[in-house]
Amino acid sequence: MADERQAPFAPTRKVTVTIDGHTHEFSAGMTILEACQRVGVKVPFFCWHPGLSAPAVCRQCLVEVKGFPKPIPSCYTPVLDKMEVVTNSPKVLDVRRQMLEFTLLNHPIDCPICDKAGECELQKHYFEWDARSARNDGGKVRKAKVVDVGRHIVLDQERCILCSRCVRVCNEVARQPELTMAFRGDRQILTTAPGQRLDNPYSLNTVDVCPVGALTAKDFRFSMRAWELWATPSVCPGCATGCNIEIHAACNVIRRLVPRPNPVVNKHWMCDEGRFTYQRVHQDRLAAPRLAGATATWEAALAQAARVLGEARASSPSTLGVALSAQATNEDLFAFMRLVSEPLRADRLYLTGEAEGWCDDILVSADKNPNTTGAKLIGGPTLRTAAELKRDMEGGALTTLLVVGGAGVTGPFDKLSSLLVVTSHQGPLCAAAQVALPLAMWAEVDGTFFNRQGKLQRVRPAITPAGLSRPGWQIAVGLGRGLGATLAYADAKQVFAAACEKVTLMSGAEWGKPEMPVQLRFANSRG
Amino acid sequence: MDEPSPPPTSRRVVLGLGEAAHFVEDEMPTEAMPLNMGPSHPAMHGTVRMVLEVEGEKIRSADVQVGYLHRGFEKEAEHATWTQIFPYTDRLNYVSPMLCNVGYALAVEQLLDIDGKIPERAQFIRVIVGEISRITDHLTCLAASAMELGAFTVFFYLIKAREWLWELLEEVSGARLTHSYVRIGGVAADLSEDFCPKLREVLRRVRGAIGDADKLLTSNRIFRDRMDGIAVITRDEAIAWGLTGPVGRSAGLAYDVRKDHPYLVYDRFDFEVPVGSKGDNFDRFAVRLEEMRQSMRILEQAMDRLPAGPILIDDARVALPPKREVYNTIESMIAHFKLIMDGIVVPPGEIYSFTEGGNGELGFYIVSDGTGRPWKCRVRPPCFANTAVLNKLLPGLFVADIIPTFGMINMIGGECDR
Repeated sequence: MADERQAPFAPTRKVTVTIDGHTHEFSAGMTILEACQRVGVKVPFFCWHPGLSAPAVCRQCLVEVKGFPKPIPSCYTPVLDKMEVVTNSPKVLDVRRQMLEFTLLNHPIDCPICDKAGECELQKHYFEWDARSARNDGGKVRKAKVVDVGRHIVLDQERCILCSRCVRVCNEVARQPELTMAFRGDRQILTTAPGQRLDNPYSLNTVDVCPVGALTAKDFRFSMRAWELWATPSVCPGCATGCNIEIHAACNVIRRLVPRPNPVVNKHWMCDEGRFTYQRVHQDRLAAPRLAGATATWEAALAQAARVLGEARASSPSTLGVALSAQATNEDLFAFMRLVSEPLRADRLYLTGEAEGWCDDILVSADKNPNTTGAKLIGGPTLRTAAELKRDMEGGALTTLLVVGGAGVTGPFDKLSSLLVVTSHQGPLCAAAQVALPLAMWAEVDGTFFNRQGKLQRVRPAITPAGLSRPGWQIAVGLGRGLGATLAYADAKQVFAAACEKVTLMSGAEWGKPEMPVQLRFANSRG
Repeated sequence: MDEPSPPPTSRRVVLGLGEAAHFVEDEMPTEAMPLNMGPSHPAMHGTVRMVLEVEGEKIRSADVQVGYLHRGFEKEAEHATWTQIFPYTDRLNYVSPMLCNVGYALAVEQLLDIDGKIPERAQFIRVIVGEISRITDHLTCLAASAMELGAFTVFFYLIKAREWLWELLEEVSGARLTHSYVRIGGVAADLSEDFCPKLREVLRRVRGAIGDADKLLTSNRIFRDRMDGIAVITRDEAIAWGLTGPVGRSAGLAYDVRKDHPYLVYDRFDFEVPVGSKGDNFDRFAVRLEEMRQSMRILEQAMDRLPAGPILIDDARVALPPKREVYNTIESMIAHFKLIMDGIVVPPGEIYSFTEGGNGELGFYIVSDGTGRPWKCRVRPPCFANTAVLNKLLPGLFVADIIPTFGMINMIGGECDR
């Protein structure tokens, strides 16, 4: 990857470079383009990407350097001492305009039907650097419009400007060279390599890096005007890696997840599996509390759950169990642990979660739960496993069970005398429960996860909780009240603050600034 | 038991003004009484409230309170693209929207540094629609004031004349009142082929209506008694209070932005700036009457010299490309898309640009931070300053004098309160 590229000079060496008449100092080894970005000088580019190698094929970032006879690609040329760079001379501006005219020559007139319109780099650069009307009125070279290149992706070869970013994502990120260029000149096309499909586990990153609408995600295309989406920074719940993401939602519906750069967690990428975790948020949700299968009010359901728990505590505390989930936020876990340790004093504590899955050495972790680290930290050393939970249910060691989350919890529930469930989805667990309380999901709540590196990361609400569902900590507060305990938390931030005092590894952690969702059309401007 | 009140003084029928003053002073000693005029009052155009302290019919102090028509124009503008602000400017001075359109467009064009590249025909059209708007503005002011002083006939004559002019503007822009006709870089549509002949015919009729009003009012004893010598403003006061437009000019302050800081093509026309000598209500009436005649002079000259050519700047970053090109070339398609979805990108900077509005100097102070929307869009509404002087003018006058005085200040709520 680009970050690992060998610097030609020792990184500590400094060079003095003049850009547009202003002299600056940079570390040697940096490219002219990076130097320009560092000091806020705008240089447009298509093929360069901070996470990929630089082939200098688009010729959009050409700048003049004193002593060089021709404009040179700034994305490829390292800064040298006493270099004089000019990015705004008439010649550079003219070259930029000519390159854009050349790129647009065979570009189809697709903006009104193109998914990328509004977030298209070609549109942006044309408007900013060219803004001239067309000089040719001849026909355009026609290419294939709908090429089904992979499971998740459709390619429009006409729209492709041949920047090769997607080819490099396959080669350098997924390490599966599935895409390639074919033919030459104005007949050149992007295509899959013979016998290949664009099916690698990171294929949707090609859609993110595509500067135009050539590669579009089947899941997102034709569903939404991109500039009307609201972006909320969050963390992917798909596995223990915790890739940083932006949730793109509108009208309380999540439309897509895109990676948010974080150099120590996921760089610029995320896996395809993670992109689809949002679908669960809108499927088969438990919308309202249920008492013995019938819809009930929160008051009635909480009262009944507290009564059952209270009776179990009084009659047989040794067979009272609580199953926590590695899918839950630290705040939910901490609030339920308060419930377990003080009013409930339950002996049997289990940690459940999604079963292990496939993994690779790129981003995907075998642990499919976002917060196993946090659950182990907060749950303490007495946590028993999901297998033990199953055995205890079968063996009759458990009579009353409170399940929080519910991922990976399977029967036999008929051996239990009472089953109380706090869960987000309908299903067999929910159907077997005496009391089922609807739980808000990761995209609906404020909270924190510990990823596999032990990094504490924030999730933020992009949409409101489905139906009447509530965040877990709030349900713990409600149950606590019925059991005679005072868990005085008004919001997730207060739970977090309390957890920071109790949990050693969280001490000193910061909640972070409040961040309002930003509509994409206004991203990078005022909110 | 209470003492029986003394029997009322026997009264004569009072005929003369002097005797009335004597009667009031002698027989009906009063104490100051608070009196609220407005905000909802037939003579308080556009919802304004006056808290008066009156002693009988005499005003001891006046507190004019504006803001009842505040709609947050300036804040709204910060959330709209530069083109989307035109409909808001229509609703500043809503009897002369074209002048507000033009004033705003000129400010943004200077920020964009394209003010020297606006096609000449567009500049002439802006002058034409602007001067028509100035006439409708003054017609409204004079008509309403005449009606409030009992001259209902004049109201009908002048409002009818205003309607003829608005019909023409409707033909040009598609809307009778809220035209949104001007664009950054030019105007939205060209004049129709028979616009000029129609305007000439309308001007002939308007001139007749104004002449009738002039004859019915200027030598009308009732009208003059209510206007002459009432609410006098001196030239120095006009400067001190920042009064501009007909109000300032009636006080002898010969300041007209069109003459003193010419914009568009105003320096090419031959017209006079009428100035008052006494600074009273009648002078403000007379100045407006004459200004309408001067505007008609400008209109005729502009029609005579109206050049052919484009009406919108040829710059894809500012003006929408022709539809034919949008549908047939990717370049214009992108420009169209970006202009509609993201709007014009105005480079960072600030500008104070001012024009002669219906009521005086209409200023726009605009700050751009380069994001596609104004960071600040402040309006200097001429009638805000003009209305402020009422606090000083009213004390000492009779309650009945408020009507012509307020009418001649011509406070327009949409513009004053924004």
